[in-house]
Amino acid sequence: MNASTLATEAVTDRSGWQLSALIAETIAWEMRRDPSVLCIGEDIGRAGGVFGATRGLLDEFGAGRIMDAPIAEMAFAGMGVGLAQAGMRPLVELMFVDFLGVCLEQIFNAAAKIPYMSGGRQKMPIVFKTAGGCIGSAAQHSQCLWGLFAHLPGLKVVAPSNPFDYRGLLTSAIRSDDPVIYIEHKGQLLKKLSDFRNNTPIPDRAYTVPFGRAVVLTKGRDVTLATLSSMVEHALEAALVLEQEGISVEVVDLRTVVPLDHDTVARSAARTGRLLVVDEDYLSFGLSAELCMRVIEQIGPGALRQVERLAVPDVPVPAALALERKVVPGVDMIIDRVRTMAKGA
Amino acid sequence: MTEQDQTLRLERYRRLWRFRSFDDACLEALRRNVIHGELHVGIGQEAIAVGMAESLRRDDAVVSTHRNHFHALAKGVDRRALLAEICEKAEGLCRGRGGHMHPFDVENNFSATGIVGASLPVALGYAYAFHLRQSDAIAVGIAGDGSSHTGAFHETMVIAGAQKLPLLVLVENNSLAISIRFDQISPTRTVAERASAYGVRGMHVDGTDVDAMTDAFAEASRHIRAGGGPVILEATCARFRGHFEGDPEGYRSREERQHLRAQFDPLRLYRDRLEAFGLTSSELDAVEAAEKAAARDLLAEIMALPQPDPEGALLYRFSEEV
Repeated sequence: MNASTLATEAVTDRSGWQLSALIAETIAWEMRRDPSVLCIGEDIGRAGGVFGATRGLLDEFGAGRIMDAPIAEMAFAGMGVGLAQAGMRPLVELMFVDFLGVCLEQIFNAAAKIPYMSGGRQKMPIVFKTAGGCIGSAAQHSQCLWGLFAHLPGLKVVAPSNPFDYRGLLTSAIRSDDPVIYIEHKGQLLKKLSDFRNNTPIPDRAYTVPFGRAVVLTKGRDVTLATLSSMVEHALEAALVLEQEGISVEVVDLRTVVPLDHDTVARSAARTGRLLVVDEDYLSFGLSAELCMRVIEQIGPGALRQVERLAVPDVPVPAALALERKVVPGVDMIIDRVRTMAKGA
Repeated sequence: MTEQDQTLRLERYRRLWRFRSFDDACLEALRRNVIHGELHVGIGQEAIAVGMAESLRRDDAVVSTHRNHFHALAKGVDRRALLAEICEKAEGLCRGRGGHMHPFDVENNFSATGIVGASLPVALGYAYAFHLRQSDAIAVGIAGDGSSHTGAFHETMVIAGAQKLPLLVLVENNSLAISIRFDQISPTRTVAERASAYGVRGMHVDGTDVDAMTDAFAEASRHIRAGGGPVILEATCARFRGHFEGDPEGYRSREERQHLRAQFDPLRLYRDRLEAFGLTSSELDAVEAAEKAAARDLLAEIMALPQPDPEGALLYRFSEEV
């Protein structure tokens, strides 16, 4: 579904809602629609989730379908695999993406590989919903890690940037027959919908946003800026500032890492001749290099004057704010980089 | 022994030989280079899987290990499709993508994993699904003595025990985690006695005695189907061959291996019992010969099948590629 066709529909005013409430409502709609959908995770029931993304669900659906789990991620991640094999559609919440390390076995050796290892005969409709991104919580609670999951074949990896997509991509994830890693940004979950730059009205009915379709958010002539998740908001802010200086930036929201829509980025970069990939994940061996390479393979190295990357420079995220600002891309860092690129060849 | 008993026992004997002949066929396939990867056979451990077969229903689930062939056969997985998969054929259970450690049979709720300990959380998921559906089906998670020391074992038992889920954890204790002896590393004398820590029932059985094993598995499944909560059923047994084919087995002597075969072969032990009950050598020989011939014929047929089309190597990663 396309945002513009929905703009004319009557909508409930959700502008004062936090993003996490919208996510909870999205899960509730899917649970009403399909009795095989259920949620398992730590603090998702009585507490409603540490960010409130499952608030109210326990009351409506009961402890069977909203299962408060002990701190036993390895068991309940694998439980999700078994439930999916038994014909259910589990949504397994792993509080922070950083914690996926303790249950990676079930994610990368079981969920990701079983559809292939079974010759396509075993479906794996499971969502691992988790929160990533930097909110000043230092090395073990501030990672994104989508590049890590994207590297492992068999997982779809989703990282929305705005309320409309959070709902539409989550609906797609729950309805998907494939394992999906759905990564919310911690810095956005408690944000009011009206505080998003990109706040397309949310219709009063379920809709899906397809995986693998990047979207061009601002038309620009000088630089193509591809990014995702919370960095999209930073990129839009940077684009406004740069517009004042006469630098025109085309911001592309990737929406999903797997599948990765390099076509949309390549088309844009072929026009602007300059590509900057901004990634809150680590720099090396990740999304930024993969996307640049695919674009170069598609349009040829001669089609681009500049290709650059801005990402966390292969260092654990530090605790002190001064250090964090130095390594995690922010609006000023993006502005500086684009400015330098635009002045160049 | 009544005639009914005799039929039942002869059927158990037939299954023991069917399972052993199946793994003998796998060994032959390996010798002939039809299998090019790792192979873990269960020879010596047949009685445990045979003991499961009579109690398992189609709607039950079994999640097995790297040494899974007998469990698959006990669950009703098609022999031909399984052997074709082990032999890496296009007609295999998983179209040649899984191989011997990763058979998946959706219709029979059978799956396995090559990662020690990882079977249990998946079995827990089936158990939770059965619980939600208020079905009396049970989920069987198979572990070895090695798996019983993983974090996954503990975490699974915490959840299953607290919620009284219909989970049967079957521990095949062959007392060797590759080279590490159970009594050298276990904090307890048995795995079964750890059950009390999780508020579940623990049972211990001689896994080389097919009758005792059948009774124990039946008792455990009745307990679980009746809503009694999880059971840890520990079956002791001996692994006659190496951990994998090609294992130099530097951790045990030839004499030790010979002793195990002489003392704990479930097929020989059962034959002795049946003869003592009055079954004749010729009856038993006929069962053995028929199963050996069937496995040989099956292997011959499967060896002639083609490998998967290499052009399809990237198929089946995602649902839209099916």
